Amino acid sequence: MSEADVKSWINGDESAKRMLDRVLTSRPSFSLPPPLHRIPLRVANVVEIAGPSPSAKTQILTQTAVSCVLPKVWNGVHYGGLGRPVLYIDLDCRFDVLRLVEMLRHRIVQVNGCSSTAGNEEILKLSMRQFSYIRCYDSFELLATLKTLHHRLQKEKESNGIGGHLLMIDSIGAFHWVDRASTTLPLGGKNRKCLSLQNVLEIVVEDLRKLLLIHPMLVIVTKTAIVGTTGNEVKRNFKRWPSSGTPDTSSELERLQKPYFREYMPSIWQSFVTHRILVQGSDDHLAMPKSQENDLAYVSEWLLPRLNILDKFVVRDAGVFLVS
Amino acid sequence: MASLKRLETEFPILDRDFQSFCALRGIFTDGLHRPWSNGVELMEDAQKNKHVLSTGCEGMDFLLRGGLHKGQVTELAGPSSSGKTQFCLLTASTVAYKHMGGVIYLDTGNSFSAKRIAQFLNQISRPAFDEMQPIVLQKVMNSILCQSVFDIFSMFDVLHCLESKLKSQMCRGDNDEILIIIDSISSLITPILGSSGSQGRALMVSAMSLLKKLAHEYNLAVLVTNHTVGGDGGIPKPALGESWKTLTHVRLLLSRDCGSDTYHVSLLKHPSAASGKAAKFIINN
Repeated sequence: MSEADVKSWINGDESAKRMLDRVLTSRPSFSLPPPLHRIPLRVANVVEIAGPSPSAKTQILTQTAVSCVLPKVWNGVHYGGLGRPVLYIDLDCRFDVLRLVEMLRHRIVQVNGCSSTAGNEEILKLSMRQFSYIRCYDSFELLATLKTLHHRLQKEKESNGIGGHLLMIDSIGAFHWVDRASTTLPLGGKNRKCLSLQNVLEIVVEDLRKLLLIHPMLVIVTKTAIVGTTGNEVKRNFKRWPSSGTPDTSSELERLQKPYFREYMPSIWQSFVTHRILVQGSDDHLAMPKSQENDLAYVSEWLLPRLNILDKFVVRDAGVFLVS
Repeated sequence: MASLKRLETEFPILDRDFQSFCALRGIFTDGLHRPWSNGVELMEDAQKNKHVLSTGCEGMDFLLRGGLHKGQVTELAGPSSSGKTQFCLLTASTVAYKHMGGVIYLDTGNSFSAKRIAQFLNQISRPAFDEMQPIVLQKVMNSILCQSVFDIFSMFDVLHCLESKLKSQMCRGDNDEILIIIDSISSLITPILGSSGSQGRALMVSAMSLLKKLAHEYNLAVLVTNHTVGGDGGIPKPALGESWKTLTHVRLLLSRDCGSDTYHVSLLKHPSAASGKAAKFIINN
C-alpha cells in the first residue's frame, strides 16, 4: 500500500456531520399522530402496536393513515399531512373504509372550514388515491402479496418517483391458530417445506427485510395481545371473606391482578420488531366537560424503547385525541 | 397457469420454457391473491354495494347506526331465552320483506319457526288487523331458505356450496341473497374448542374468515348468535373466549327482563361507533 492510500484510510470517507446530514435527508423522520408521537420514527423501522381486544389499535392505524395520505400543502392551504402513499394489508378483514373517509373529512373540514365542498371532495379523492388496500384470507395469500409487492413498488417508483411508503399490516397474529394447526399438512412434493407457524413467519420476515432494503418504508403492525391474569384464584379466595375490605387487602388484590401479556409470536418476529407500543383500555371513564357521554379512555405505553410515560387517549368521531 | 400466459405478453422472459418449468415443479400462480384496491375504488364500492339492512327493530337499528351493514359480521350474544332467536326471525322477515332479498338461515338447534315468520310478516306489512295476501306471503317466505346444520363441518359444506352459487350468480349479474343468519354459531364451535390444542380455534378462525370473505365479496350481511358464560363478578360475558373477540365486526350483548317482553341490548364493539351504548326494545307477541 502506498503512502497516499494509508493517509486516505486514516482520514476516513466523510465527517460525522456530513454523514448525519446525508442520513437525515435520505431517511427523514415521520411525525405521526398520537400515541405514536413520542419517538421519531424513520423508514426501515418496524413498529408493533400490541394490545388486547378491543383497544383501538385499528383506530390508531386509521388515524395514522389519514395523516399520511393528506398532502402537506395543496392549493395554497396547509394540511399538514405527510403526503406519502400508504399500503394497508388487512389480515383481520375488519377494515371499515367509511371510517377512514369520515376521519379524513373531519381533518379537511377542520383545516378548510366549511368552505367549498367541491374543493373538499377533490382533496378527499386525491388523498384516497394514495391509499392502497388488500385483504388476505390466509397465510398463502399473505405470502403471495409480499412476494409481488416488490414488483409493484418498482413499477410505482418508475412511474411516479415517490418513495417512502408506509406499510401497515392489521393483525399479524390473525392466522396464528390456523398455521399452528396445519403443521402436519403435507404440501405435495417432497421438496416443499411444511407450512407451520415458524416457517410462515420466517418467510414473512425475510421478505419484509428484503423489501426494506430496496424500498425503504416504515412498517406499522398491529398484534392482538393475549391477556392472562395471575390473580384469578386469589380473587375467588378473597370473595369468601367480604369483611376484609380494608385498604391493604384491596391494594394487594390490585397488584396481584395486574394483567400480563403473553408473547406468542416466535422469536424471529420479536427480533425483527424495532419499536413496540402497548395499548389497553383504562378502567376509568373520562367525563369530559364538553361531551355528553363518558368517553372510554385508552392508555398507551412504549415498551421498546422503554419510556415510563403513560399516554391517555380517547377515540372520538373525528379521530384519536390525546387527553393527558 | 392462465395468469402466467397473460403475463407473457408483458414480460417476454416468461416464455414457454419457464411455464413448463413451473408446471413440472408444482409452482402455481393462479389467483393466489386479489389485486390491490385503491382508496377511491373502496369508497365507491362501499357507497354502491355495502348498504345497511334495517333489522325491523328500532332500538337495535339506532344502536347499529342503521342496522346490519352488508360486508360486516354482527354477533349477538345473550344468555339462553334472551330473545336471540326471536330477533333473528324478526330480522329475517324484515329483510325478506322490506329489502326484498334472499335470506339464508342456518339453524343449529331446530328453533326456526315458519309460523313465527308469518306472524312477523303480518305485523310488518300491515300494522292494522288484515292479514297479508297469501300469494305475497308465499313469495316473501320463499326467499328465506332455512338449513339445519348440527356440526361445523356441515356448516363449511353449506358455505362452500353457497360460495360457488354466489360466484356463478355474480358472473351473470343477479345477486339475490343479502343476509346470512347462523343461529347459533357457538353451538357449532363450543364442542371443538378444547383448552389446549389449536385445531378447534383454527376451525373457528377459518370459518369466520370464510364468512367475512362471503360478506365482503358478495355484499352480504352476516348475523351470528353466541351464548354467554359467567365473567368477572358474575356479569355474563360472551362465550368462545379471547380469540373470538377479534373475529366479528360488531358485538352486541342482549338480555331480557324476567317474564317481560322488554329486551336490553348494549353495544360491545363497533368499527365506527363508541362502545357502551345501550338500547331497549320490545318484541310483541
